[in-house]
Amino acid sequence: MSSREHILSRAKANKPDLLELPNLDLNVFTDGRDLIKEFKTKIEVVGGNVVDVVTKENVISQVSSLFPNTKVNFSTLEGTQDFNTVSLEALNKPHELEDLDIMILESNIGVAENGALWLSDNQIPIRVLPFITKHLVLVLNKENIVPFMHQAYQKLSSNATDFGVFISGPSKTADIEQSLVIGAQGALSLTVFIY
Amino acid sequence: MNHSKAASIFNKDEKKVDWHDKALWFVRHKRDKAVHAVEGWESLRNYGHGIKAHTLSNLDNYLIQFEENALKNGVQVHWAADGDEHNKIVHSILKAHNAKKVVKSKSMLTEECHLNPFLEADGIEVIDTDLGERIVQLAKEPPSHIVLPAIHKTKEEVDELFQEHLGTKPSGGDPQYLTGEARKHLRKKFISADAAITGVNFAIADTGGFVVCTNEGNADMGAHLAPVHIACMGIEKLIPKQEHLGVFLRLLARSATGQPITTYSSHFKKPINGNKMHIVIVDNGRTEQLSRPDFRASLHCIRCGACMNTCPIYRRSGGHSYDATIPGPIGSILSPGKDLTKHSSLPFASTLCGSCSDVCPVKIDIHSQLYKWRQIITKETPQPFVKKASMKMMGKVFAKPMQFERVGKVARWSLRNLPKGVINSKPNVWGKERDLPSGPTESFDDWYKKRTENEQ
Repeated sequence: MSSREHILSRAKANKPDLLELPNLDLNVFTDGRDLIKEFKTKIEVVGGNVVDVVTKENVISQVSSLFPNTKVNFSTLEGTQDFNTVSLEALNKPHELEDLDIMILESNIGVAENGALWLSDNQIPIRVLPFITKHLVLVLNKENIVPFMHQAYQKLSSNATDFGVFISGPSKTADIEQSLVIGAQGALSLTVFIY
Repeated sequence: MNHSKAASIFNKDEKKVDWHDKALWFVRHKRDKAVHAVEGWESLRNYGHGIKAHTLSNLDNYLIQFEENALKNGVQVHWAADGDEHNKIVHSILKAHNAKKVVKSKSMLTEECHLNPFLEADGIEVIDTDLGERIVQLAKEPPSHIVLPAIHKTKEEVDELFQEHLGTKPSGGDPQYLTGEARKHLRKKFISADAAITGVNFAIADTGGFVVCTNEGNADMGAHLAPVHIACMGIEKLIPKQEHLGVFLRLLARSATGQPITTYSSHFKKPINGNKMHIVIVDNGRTEQLSRPDFRASLHCIRCGACMNTCPIYRRSGGHSYDATIPGPIGSILSPGKDLTKHSSLPFASTLCGSCSDVCPVKIDIHSQLYKWRQIITKETPQPFVKKASMKMMGKVFAKPMQFERVGKVARWSLRNLPKGVINSKPNVWGKERDLPSGPTESFDDWYKKRTENEQ
C-alpha cells in the first residue's frame, strides 16, 4: 500500500462520526466602528504610514517628495512612465530587482480591523516585487475598505487568483530580546495612499 | 532527562529566568489587549473550534479534495507516512532539480522530521531565514518556542553569534544593527537559492491552495525567487473553504503576539510560470492521535504559541526543558502520543490551572488532556519509588477522615512552631526557593462546624 492510501485509510478509520460545519453568523462581530478611521489607525499600529490624496494622479508627486533621490523606481499606476526607471519586460530574472527603491502598486481591498491590503497576481507584475523593494507604496480607493477579514474573503470568492497576499505594515521582527525592529527581510517601509 | 531535571538547568541563571518569565507574560498581555478589542471574540473561537472539529471528522475526503485541486493547479503532491519518508521526498525533489542551496522559512513540521541534518548530510546547504530560527541555527540549538524561536537567547549572546558567523562588529547587542546585518546576510542567500522550503499555516481543500504567514517576509522572498518551492504540511492543516481563513487569520496573530494580523498572509495556489511547486503531506503520528477520542482535539492546534506565553511552568522552565519539537502545554499533550515513555514527565509539567485552555484560539481543552495523559502514564510507565509510596500513603490518609484530621492538625502545628530550617529542609521540595505560609489554627472542617453552630 502506498503512503497515500495508508494515510487516507487510517484517516478514514480513525476519524470520529461526521460533525457539522458551523454556519458563520457575521452579525456577532459588528462593532459599529468608522471604517476609514479604523483602517488608518490600524495601519499606523502595524508600523505603516497613511497619506490622504484627492485623486490617484497626486500619488507620484507626493512619493517623490516623501522619498527624494531614489534611483530605482517602479509603479503600475497609469501614466507613470516618467517615474519608472526599470522596464520589467527587459528583465531576465526578478533577482535583478534587488536594488529596487520604490514600488507603487494598487490594491482593491483594504481591511479596517487590521490595516491589511490585498494584492494579487492581477496587480503584481512579478510576485517578488512587494517584498524585495526597499519601500512599498500601496494605493487604495476608500470605497474598497471592508470591516473584517470575512468581508474581504466574500469579495475574493468570485475571482480565482494564482497568488495573492494580505500585507499589513512593513516587514518586522522582534526576535532579538523582543525588541521590535521595522525592516526585516521584506520592505523596510509601507506607505498607504488613500483617495 | 525528565522535565524537572531539564528545567533545573534553565533555572540556574535566575536573572535570565526572570526576564524570560516577564517577556512572555508581556506577550500574553498584548494578546489580551488585542483580543478584548474584538467584538464577538468568543464566537470566533467557537467557529475556529467547530471548523477544525468538522474537518477532522471528514479528513480523508478533504485530503482527497485538496490533492485533486492542487494537481489541477499544476502543483505536485507527495504523501509521507512518517518523518523519514518526508525527508527522503524533499531530498529527492532537490536532487531532481540539482538544488544545492536551500532557503527555508519557519516550519515546525520540518523541525519535527529533523529535515536539516538529513539534507546537510548530503552536502545541501539549508539556511533558516526567519531571524529567530537563523539565530538558533547558528547556535546549533533547536527553537525553544514555536513563534519566538530564540526567546531564550540574550541580545549579547546574539551579538557574539553574529560576530563569529556573520563577521559583524561588536554592538553590545543592538537589535536594530543586528537585524540589519541579518537582512544583508539573508538577502545574499535568497538571491542565490536553488530551492525554497516553507511550512503551511492553512491548506484549503476546495481551492488546493495554501496560506503561509510571516512577519519578516522571508517565506515570500524565498518562494518567489527560487525556481522550486516545496511546501511541507501536516494533514491537520486542512480547512474546507477559503472563507474559513476569515476566522483563522483573525484568531492567529492576535493570539500569538497581539498583532491584528501578521504582516504577510500569502495565498499560494499556482506556481510562477516556468517554476515548480511541490506539496508534501505528512502523517507522522497524526492519524494515530486522531484515533484517540480524548486527545484528537489536540490536532485543532494552529500553532500560535499562546498556551506557552501564559503557562506559569513554561515561562519559568524554558522551551528546551520539554525536549520536544513543540514545547509548552500543547506540546505536552501532543508528545506523549508519539512516545509515551520518552515524554512521560511532560503532562506533569503543569499546575492544571487551565490558563492554556482559556487562551487557546481554537478551544482545545489542553489542561483536561494533560490530566487524562497523567492517568494513562501512571498506569503504563514505571513511576519513581518515592512518588509511588507517597501517593499510596496520601491515598490511605485521604480515605479515612479521622486520620486526615489528625495529620492535618500535626501539619498545621508544625508549620506554626517548627523552625524554618526544619520546615524548608531538603526532603520538602515545596520549601525550595520559597517560604511556606504559617499554619492556620483551625481546619476548614472546624471552621465550617463552628459556622453552622452559630447559625442555629
